[in-house]
This record gives sequence, structure tokens and C-alpha cells, in this order.
Amino acid sequence: MSVRSVDPPAAKTSTGRRVLTRPLAATTYLLRNAGKSIPLTAVIVLAVMLVAGIISMINSIPLSIRVIYNYSREFTGITPRGDAAKTQPILDEIKKKSPISIERIIVCRTTATVVQSIVGKWPFYIAGLEQNDLQYYLDRQGSKSLEGRLPAAGKPEAVISRPVAQNLGLKLGSELLGPEKDDGFSPNSVKVVGIADTERWVMLTSIEYLQDFHFPPIDIGILCAPTPAEQSKLDLWAEKYFKGRPVAVLAYHQVEKDTNDMFATLYQILNVVIGTLVLVITTMMGMLMNIYQSQRLVEFGLLQALGYTKKQLLSRVVIETVFVVVFGWLLGLVAAYGLLNVAKRTLMDPKAFALNVLDPVAYAYSIPLPIAILIVAIATVVLRFRKFDPIGVVERRIV
Amino acid sequence: MLKVNSASLVYQDQGRDLFACREVSLEVRENEFLGILGPSGSGKSSLLYLMSGLKTPSSGQITFDGKPLSGMDDASRANLRLKEFGFVFQQPYLLGYLSAIENVLVAQPSGGTIESATDLLTSLGLANKLHRLPHELSGGERQRVCVARALMGNPRIIFADEPTASLDHKNGVAVVNLLNDLRGKGALVMVTHDPTMLERADRIVRLVDGHISEPDSN
Repeated sequence: MSVRSVDPPAAKTSTGRRVLTRPLAATTYLLRNAGKSIPLTAVIVLAVMLVAGIISMINSIPLSIRVIYNYSREFTGITPRGDAAKTQPILDEIKKKSPISIERIIVCRTTATVVQSIVGKWPFYIAGLEQNDLQYYLDRQGSKSLEGRLPAAGKPEAVISRPVAQNLGLKLGSELLGPEKDDGFSPNSVKVVGIADTERWVMLTSIEYLQDFHFPPIDIGILCAPTPAEQSKLDLWAEKYFKGRPVAVLAYHQVEKDTNDMFATLYQILNVVIGTLVLVITTMMGMLMNIYQSQRLVEFGLLQALGYTKKQLLSRVVIETVFVVVFGWLLGLVAAYGLLNVAKRTLMDPKAFALNVLDPVAYAYSIPLPIAILIVAIATVVLRFRKFDPIGVVERRIV
Repeated sequence: MLKVNSASLVYQDQGRDLFACREVSLEVRENEFLGILGPSGSGKSSLLYLMSGLKTPSSGQITFDGKPLSGMDDASRANLRLKEFGFVFQQPYLLGYLSAIENVLVAQPSGGTIESATDLLTSLGLANKLHRLPHELSGGERQRVCVARALMGNPRIIFADEPTASLDHKNGVAVVNLLNDLRGKGALVMVTHDPTMLERADRIVRLVDGHISEPDSN
């Protein structure tokens, strides 16, 4: 039936003017009543942009944790508890017992400083490595090139990666640790002598410098497997093997687990907030739809009197609503993408904060919005049509 | 063609029966102009709604080509109105977002020809206003667009419910004459309280308090 037709076909009169041959096509009302269809669409666009934007920004917090500590994917950390002398015997034991091949075992010392995140300062470890391990470690972290040089043995020097430099506003010659720094104390001023070109967050110095000037005097073993898959297996094996013994095993999946646990409650709260937002916007849209449909009662009454069935008119309104909602939703996704890009460039990138502008979870969160609006809008119209009497219109009782 | 057999329409008002039409019987013949005359509240419009299938009689029967309207479902009655009947109401109701010619095409859901809509509007003196929106037309012009819509597709019966009610006398007479002149082979059933509008009617029935008070005049 033409009343349900979506695309209004057009022809020309003898005067050359364009005329819709099926004037009741679904898009006709929307296109010719922009004053009504644009506000409806705009509400959906703003709502979708708001939901996708909020979720993306919130997701950037755990994403930042994963990005900042992503370097730990490349190794399994092993350190004795309570006895600094046990590191080497533990590493010897691993060499003998590990069922997974180990490409390299690195012995390191660490000291702590902080990096900036969108929720404040987070701890970050500076690893002190032996000279022959420094380049290997950087290569393993995906370093493509190095601006400057590697830190010399025993000197207060450090190499950092590009995101760290961006985050802390450091360049070659800047002070990374120092006697005046509460968050990154060192008795000497530790200067940046190299900046590695990698996406990973890395801070390295020489093991000799940390052994000479930093506590605690405990060496950590870094076990590097040949492939990521084998690294994961090594993580699991080490955790199982040392369970119940005074040995700490540090693995990337612990970061994932801790992050998920940390944000579980936040996401529950977020679900309630988004649910409430959807409810509010849906109610608002329902009321708007109700007002707009009320303004069309004369149209519906007239068409029904002329011979259009309720089903045909309802189908037309449903198609119009689907158009508005789907178009609004798609436009909202585009708007959210644009907004997030602006936020990323102006707020996040300068500090190397992580933000996924194409976060699928954020966009998925916006899906209930058009569905709820569609259901409420259609229910509103169906209820209106149920008790609708066209005679009332043509007799001017409800004009 | 269309027969009304003892049709009554009863409303409930605080437990009392109110008869809008009481046992009305009449027939609409092919190609005739039937006038239904009566004062306000006499049940003229209710009778028109019964005849056109917009309302169902409380008792009695209305048949079109021998088929009772009450035996049809809503969709069939709607289809009958769309394909066989044309309507002109008291007020010149048009869809505000459609031009005059597009409003006429609404009466032909399967895609009426622009030529026939243009011809009708031209015959009604609106050749230069085909693309005007309703708010750009005068009351008389709007009612003439409604007449064109009612005539679109050559309906077998045109029902006109006080089509001159919103017009001055001169415009009213002009609209009635145009309806009568352009209806082709279709019958015209017009209800009015103004006898001067029915001067060209083939037959006139008078309604008082829901009854036909006088037999056919012709």
C-alpha cells in the first residue's frame, strides 16, 4: 500500500513542478515537518552521544591501566619474599624445572615513581637492568628507535619511552628522579638520556645505580619466553609451581584481573546511571511523541474517514518512528565519534591518556536507547489509535 | 445501489436511549443527486455516516450492491470508502504539509495520475494554485480542493456533509454546483439544513428528530 511506502515517488505537472504521486509515503511527513522531526532526532542524537561518550570516558580508566602496565605482558616477574639472597637459587631452579622454553632471564632491581592518569597519580616502576639487557628489553617492548642513548652503568641516567615522556612532560636532559622529588626520590638527579620510540610505557636505568642508591636490596628475575603464547603458559606454570612458597610471581593477567575487580562496582553503578538515563530520555521521547501524534489527530481522522485503515496509518507512523530513531541513533554514533575524537586530541593525547574512540562497548551501550524509545513511541501511538474515532474529527469534536 | 433498511442509530446518554436515526429507510440510485434536508440535530450527519460505513447501525441494515455493510470487517469497509465513495466534510480538512494537488492524490492510494488531479483542480478553478499549501488557500479554495479529492477516481457515490457550512452563500452554491457538474456518473448524497443548496437535487428527503418526515419529493 502506498501509505506504507517509504520513498515518496515524484512526478512533474505540466507546469514542471515536482509532485509526490504517493504523498503518504513515510518520509514525506518527516521531510516536510522538519520543525518536528529535527527536535525528535536531536534528542536521540544527544542521548546516544551522551551515553557513548560517558561509557568511552569511563572505559578509558581501566584502558589506561592496561596500557600503562602493558609492558608486563613481555615477561614473568619472580621475586623472593623475605630473603634477598634467594633470587638466584630460584632462577636456577626455574631453569631446571620450567617445562616452557625461556628465551632470556634478566636480573633487575626496581624503584618506584608515579605517572599521571585521568584519575590522579599511579605508581610506576623503574627497572634497573644490566647493560647487555637494556637494548634487549627495549626491543622486546617494541622499540623502533632510540633518541639519545642508553643509561651508562652506575650513572644517574634513565631511558624512557615516548608515552612516559609525553605524560610527565620530559625530554632529553630532564630530571626523572631526584632528591627534591617526593613521588620519585633518588639521592642523585637522574636525568633522561634516551627516549625510546614505542607505544609501551617504559622507564629503565642501570641496575648498578639502583643497587648503589635504592632500597630494598632485592633482585627480581624477569623470565622472557619466546612467544606471547608461551609467556602466558610460563605465567601460569610459575604461579602454580611457586604456590605456597615465599616467592611472588608477577604476571600480566593479574593486572587484568585486578583491573576488572577494581571496576566491577563502578560498572554496576554505571549500569544504574545509564539505565536511569535511558528511562528518563525514553519517557521524555514518549511524551514528545504523544504531543506530536496528538497534533496529527485531524490527519489520522481524515484519512481514516476517507478509507485508510488503522493498520495502514499505524504502519505509517511506525515506519516514520523507525526512521527517526534509527537515523537519530546513527547520527548519535557519528556525533559521539566526533566528540570523542575532539576529547582525545585536546584532553587525552597531550598526556598520553588512553581513550578508544571506537570502543565497541560504549557504542553497544547506546543500543537500548533507540529500542526503548521505539517501544514507548509505538506503544503511545497504538494506545492513541485504540480509542480513536474518526467521526470525532470530521464532526470537529476533537480538532 | 445503496439501500438503507429500517436503520437506527442509538446512543446511550446516562442510561437513556437517544435515537440519532430512527428506522430510516431510503435508497440511493445510480447517478442521482439525493438531498437530505433537516435542521441542526435532526440526525442528517449520523445518517450519512451510517450510509458511508463510518458508523454501524444499532438496528436495521445498509447494503451496497446487495452486500450488507455490517457484514464487512473494518478493512473491507475502509476499502469500500476509499475505492467506491468520495467524501466532502463540513470543514475543508486538508493535510497541511501537502500541496493542493498532493491532497487530491491522497484519495488514490495506488498512485493516482497527476493529469486527472490537475484536470479536476483546473475544472474547479484552481489551475494556478496546484502547488499551494492549504494555509496559502482561502476557505472556498480549500473546500474546492476537498471537492476535487472527493471526485478523484470517479467514485460511485459522493457523500457531502454540509459542504457549504464553512462558506458564504455564493461560494457555497458554487461548490455544490461544481460537485454536481463534475460528479460524472457518480451519485451525490448531500446533507444540509439550507434548502437553497438542493435546488438541483433529483430527490430530497427531510429528516426531523431522526425520522424521515416526508416522502421523496421526486
